[in-house]
Amino acid sequence: MNNSSLWIILQRMRLPFVVITLTYTIAMIGLILIPGMDNDGNVYQMSIFDAFYFVTYTATTIGFGELPFPFTNDQKVWITVSIYLTVLGWFYGIGSLVSLLQDKLFLSEIAIARFKSSVKNIKEDFIIVLGYNETTSEIIKIMLAAKMRVVVIEQNQSRAEYLMLEGFVPHVPVLVKDAHNPISLEMAGIKSIYCKGIVSLFDKYILNLRITLASKILNPHIKVIVKSTTEEETGNLLDAGADIVDNAFLIIAYQIQMALKSPSLFKIENWLYNIDVLESKTFTIPHDKVIICGYGRLGMNLYHMFINNNIFPIIIEQNEKKVKSALNNGIENIICGNAEDQYYLKKANIENTKTIIVATNNDTTNLSIVSTVKKMNKDTLIIIRENEISDFSIFSHAKVDYIFIPEEILIHKTTNAISNPLSDRLIRLLTTKDERWGKQLLMHLIKSINVNPITFELYINKNDSIEIYNYLKNPDNKLTLNTLKSSRRDRKQYNNLVVLLLIRDEQEFLLPALDFEIKINDKILFACDENAKEDLEYIANNGYEFNYIISGHEKEFFSKFLKNKKKG
Amino acid sequence: MNLDKVIAGFFIIFAMTLNFGFWYGDALDVHMHNKYELFAAIIVNVIATVLKLGDKTQIGSVLIATSLVADLQLLVAAVLWTVYGTTTGIDPEIFGVIISLSGGALLANMTSVILYIGDTLKSKR
Repeated sequence: MNNSSLWIILQRMRLPFVVITLTYTIAMIGLILIPGMDNDGNVYQMSIFDAFYFVTYTATTIGFGELPFPFTNDQKVWITVSIYLTVLGWFYGIGSLVSLLQDKLFLSEIAIARFKSSVKNIKEDFIIVLGYNETTSEIIKIMLAAKMRVVVIEQNQSRAEYLMLEGFVPHVPVLVKDAHNPISLEMAGIKSIYCKGIVSLFDKYILNLRITLASKILNPHIKVIVKSTTEEETGNLLDAGADIVDNAFLIIAYQIQMALKSPSLFKIENWLYNIDVLESKTFTIPHDKVIICGYGRLGMNLYHMFINNNIFPIIIEQNEKKVKSALNNGIENIICGNAEDQYYLKKANIENTKTIIVATNNDTTNLSIVSTVKKMNKDTLIIIRENEISDFSIFSHAKVDYIFIPEEILIHKTTNAISNPLSDRLIRLLTTKDERWGKQLLMHLIKSINVNPITFELYINKNDSIEIYNYLKNPDNKLTLNTLKSSRRDRKQYNNLVVLLLIRDEQEFLLPALDFEIKINDKILFACDENAKEDLEYIANNGYEFNYIISGHEKEFFSKFLKNKKKG
Repeated sequence: MNLDKVIAGFFIIFAMTLNFGFWYGDALDVHMHNKYELFAAIIVNVIATVLKLGDKTQIGSVLIATSLVADLQLLVAAVLWTVYGTTTGIDPEIFGVIISLSGGALLANMTSVILYIGDTLKSKR
């Protein structure tokens, strides 16, 4: 169905065309048969062409006049009849064409055809993002900045129009269809060799599961990134083949756990997630007297995390059913009540509490709890959950110690998973380290580079680092990491660069030493500044720069040629 | 009895017969070729083309193609007749062109009819 819109026009216009043809014919036949009279009184018959000419400018209501000669009464009678016939026929035809062009079905066909052709024209890596909202909008911006194209499927027409108004560069094609349907996924180019991933962050777990299954069947090679909120969902999604499952609540619980055990590792993790810089304000969570407000999915994850670390928090939850089920599961320290109320905070021993985590799913409730808490206990550490990213300015004025935004974590985890997969693995490795190791690395990074280094991933292969690849193809050649650290200006000097991670055949080498040997198909994660990154890209891909770094001489082309000539 | 098929078949075959009627006769004798017959042939050919539109199958596309060819040839013949008829007069050379154009249109119409018959025979109903 290549030109389905054209066929629709042709099909619908059949009757109007026939009507126009017939009315013209009837009018013309009458005009040809009825004799006219010229200026001298001679009888003449109109020629076919004259009749056609007259009917044309009459039906379209142009009306030049009675040509070639003024009409006789017989002619006038016939023309009166034919005017009603032909003009109505003509307007019927035009009207059909106009209403056809405005037909919603027709317009959506055109939009779909245009979408499919713009997806076909994408000849670089792209991902498919399902749904357009604040979260996915941020993901799109980050991915476009990371030089990856994006294709969007959004069910709601007005949200799709909002996306088009944003005017993303390069162009983000959007399809207005239900993402449920595998046909939509196919139209969005899931089978293309350039499609690298699909992101599905719907709240409905069933929808995410369905998309995971459909995507893996249509194209088993792409990364499927979905959102999940409970352990059970995560398990099912992983079984269905999802590559990355973002559970924002679990991530927050892990982050707080990291803040508990090791503030330095927490800072490093936040930096890798692009949430904050390395020298951010730190806070240490004391190991007892914790209150959690809200026993939803976040509250549950937090509670279990604290229990695993031998801390026993007190929970305040308003919903009776949740409280009952918690009590049934053996949780004792739970108070049923509204945490905004001073009475319940007192019951939870707010005056002696060191840390309070406000984790309900309503921003207004959270802020109100915070203002009550501040009145009752000025010294307690306040950690708050922010649900809507747009409320950020109100939250920043609330003067709390830390704000967790689940949506933001989702955005950064997703974009990291697609464009910086090595950072993601490093974050997972961090959970196995301790505070001393973290502090060392933190100091090392800040001293060697700056408080906000950029991360850079280099793959040793033909596409990303051709000079290194060609050099290492010769088995006699060896290369170590310090070559990559060299400055282009003077190869004896080093750039501000730290090698964080090297992955070889699924084996991970954390913080490899500078004399570590590089092999083909290695994947290396660096932390560096802009200058070092630029040098690194040049060294890996530019023959002249690489040669200088290796040998210390400038690469000679012409002089070699001349030398040979001299010899021979 | 399929009314749609009756009408479509009627116009396709009618187009061919009118075309043949116009074309038949000594190519040098103006009196053997009536311009009103050419007029009628054009009208019916156009209607037949319109009826064939909107068919997405392979055979439908080829039918439209043959129809368009016939339309084009007949229209060019009519234009030539009009232009030369009102200005310098129809000399045998121009008339020869007109007749040969209509002959070509006849071939296109015959192809159209053969395809149409073939499609009908194939349908086994």
